Amino acid sequence: MIPQEYFLALASILFVIGAYGVLTRKNAIVVLMCIELMLNAANINFVTFAAFRNDPTGQVFALFSIAIAAAEVAVGLAILLNLQKTQDTINLEDIKLLRW
Amino acid sequence: MVYAEYAWLIPILPIIGLLLVALLGKKTPEGGGYFAVGGIAASCFLGVMVALEYLTGGSSEPVSGTMTWLQLNSTLKLEMGYYIDSLSAVMLIVVTILCTLILVYSLGYMHEEGERKRRYYVEISLFVVGMEGLVVASNYLEMFVFWEIMGLCSYLLIGFWYYKPSAAAAAKKAFLVTRIGDILFMIGIISIFASFGTLNYRDLFTHNFIAQPVDMTLLGVGLFCVFGGAVGKSAQFPLHDWLPDAMEGPTTVSALIHAATMVKAGVYLVARSFPLMVHTPDVLLIVAAIGGFTALFAATMALNNPNIKRVLAYSTISQLGYMFLALGAGGYMIATANLSEAAAEMGNAGYMAGMFHLLNHAFFKALLFLSAGAVIHAVHTEDMRLMGGLSKKLKITSFVMLIGALSIAGIPPLSGFWSKDEVLAAVYNAGSANIWFYLLYIMGIVTAFLTAFYMFRLWFMTFKGEGKEATQHAHEAPRSMTVPLIILAIFAFGTGFILMGPDGGLPAVIRTVNLDGHLIAGETLGLGWIEKLFTEWQTWLSIVVAFSGVGLAYMAYFKKSISVDRFATGGSKKVYDLLLARYGFPRAYDWVGMKVVYGFSRAIDFFDRTVIDGVVNVISRFAVSGSGVLRKVQTGVVQTYAIVIVSALSVILILMYLLGGLR
Repeated sequence: MIPQEYFLALASILFVIGAYGVLTRKNAIVVLMCIELMLNAANINFVTFAAFRNDPTGQVFALFSIAIAAAEVAVGLAILLNLQKTQDTINLEDIKLLRW
Repeated sequence: MVYAEYAWLIPILPIIGLLLVALLGKKTPEGGGYFAVGGIAASCFLGVMVALEYLTGGSSEPVSGTMTWLQLNSTLKLEMGYYIDSLSAVMLIVVTILCTLILVYSLGYMHEEGERKRRYYVEISLFVVGMEGLVVASNYLEMFVFWEIMGLCSYLLIGFWYYKPSAAAAAKKAFLVTRIGDILFMIGIISIFASFGTLNYRDLFTHNFIAQPVDMTLLGVGLFCVFGGAVGKSAQFPLHDWLPDAMEGPTTVSALIHAATMVKAGVYLVARSFPLMVHTPDVLLIVAAIGGFTALFAATMALNNPNIKRVLAYSTISQLGYMFLALGAGGYMIATANLSEAAAEMGNAGYMAGMFHLLNHAFFKALLFLSAGAVIHAVHTEDMRLMGGLSKKLKITSFVMLIGALSIAGIPPLSGFWSKDEVLAAVYNAGSANIWFYLLYIMGIVTAFLTAFYMFRLWFMTFKGEGKEATQHAHEAPRSMTVPLIILAIFAFGTGFILMGPDGGLPAVIRTVNLDGHLIAGETLGLGWIEKLFTEWQTWLSIVVAFSGVGLAYMAYFKKSISVDRFATGGSKKVYDLLLARYGFPRAYDWVGMKVVYGFSRAIDFFDRTVIDGVVNVISRFAVSGSGVLRKVQTGVVQTYAIVIVSALSVILILMYLLGGLR
């Protein structure tokens, strides 16, 4: 039996990699992919606790989370498409219309 | 009490007339003037019925009805309603009859005004509403509301011919000068409310000063301020100068302002406050002194003025001074009587004399003004130097004006004689309480002489002598003007005789104030009083003075045996010019307006621009520059925000872990 800490460590590593990507990458599509990583880290946590505590609620949550992530990607890509059309760029450093 | 319950309708009826004029005036003859006359005639009928019912009812209890206007807290409230006592009953008779007659006269006088007639009838109806409401009001605040309505209407009517710069200026002056009085009146009302916790006459006049003492200093200041309101409205020194300028309005308006409304409101206010004022003798002394001084002061300015209406205006100021003099003297006697019945009786006589003179003056001054209006209507000028010999062409007018002049001059047995003599007697009697009243008595006698002189100067210059160019085409006024004149002449001749009516007549009913300031029934004067009157030397003195005034005018302006021109030249020229310049008062007003008020405003303006605006500017500059620094935080880059959020969240979590919040 693999101990619970291993799963949690994997999830943490995945989450931190995702967060690092979100904070540093300039390409919006890459940022979107990093967000997926962070979401999946959370999903791993859900199923881990569900398995170790014999409580199926966590698995249900993981399924919901995956479904919503799919929707989120659809919306996010649509936004990026429009960004490319109107601003001619998806570089996050160039998209700063809302500053002073 | 059949009619008295409907006293509140008296000011409502002219409002109905006013609305009809405003809505239908364009389509009806005389610009809807008949509606205005109808509304005022209806309120006249009701007013006279209410007054007669009250005065003949035999009860001295005031009739009043009120409803709550504003509930301030559980005990304090402001009310609206009507209050009829002998004073307001007498005022109702005077005001409503005169307003009706003047409105009828307006139909003829304003006939040629065209489109503007509608405005005239609306404004004058509202004016009458103001006066009638003021008379029937049941408390000071309600009175103040109507007082202000009248102030507005006087502005509108004096400036009726607003395209004339002089009329516009006169309207402004009247409004601003009376405003000073209004502010004082308001302070007075607040002081009375602070003293008693109520403004209702019914509660104020039955207040028991022994059981519930009030701060006499506060009350004194309050009543002084109330008198200040009367000074502004009644054009007493030093706020008198608007009244001669108010002659710029139509003559009917002048008659209304001088005879029935506006200036009488000030006297009415003091008479109304009389039961309170008898507790503050100092205020009454000021009332008498201002009145006496104004009487003489205004009479001198009437001596050489060439404008027929302005002479009448000065005589109004002067006669109003008499009324205040009588009220002040009578009140002072009561206030210092120390419960002596005889002194209080003399004080009552002073109060009565003031109100009696108000009544008589209302009729003869309306007569004089409307006669002057008929003269102006005929010759189209107000300058008496261009008139003369009009008695042949204006037979009715010259005769009724002679009655008015005899009455105001105090020639027995016309009405002015009785009341003027009563006034002077009251002042002389008050001399036993305070020596200053003897001086005021002398001023009153001199005023009586001057009054007789300038009134007959006016009459002789207008109606006698040779005709001038302006009088060539003069013709008698239409019937709607002469009929009110004749009615007024009968009143001006006869109102003095009500002194001899049953139970001492009307004036005896007006005497209402006893020692406690409570209302008591009138007492009988009887005919024996008349007999006593003609055995006193003061009476004969005033008769001699009146006749000598008339005689001097006769010599100077009819026989021309005394040359008046030499007063206009040589050594007395300075005095002559000083009188024509109205003692420099218009210039003093302008100086106060331009230098004092404008200078003060400039100082305030400077303070506002530098200090107030300066502080505001510093604060705003600080905010602007501060935000200039802080806005750099908002980079607009999504990832910067994300870094801030993540690091802040991390810090919070670490802190919670270290401080044991994650257990």
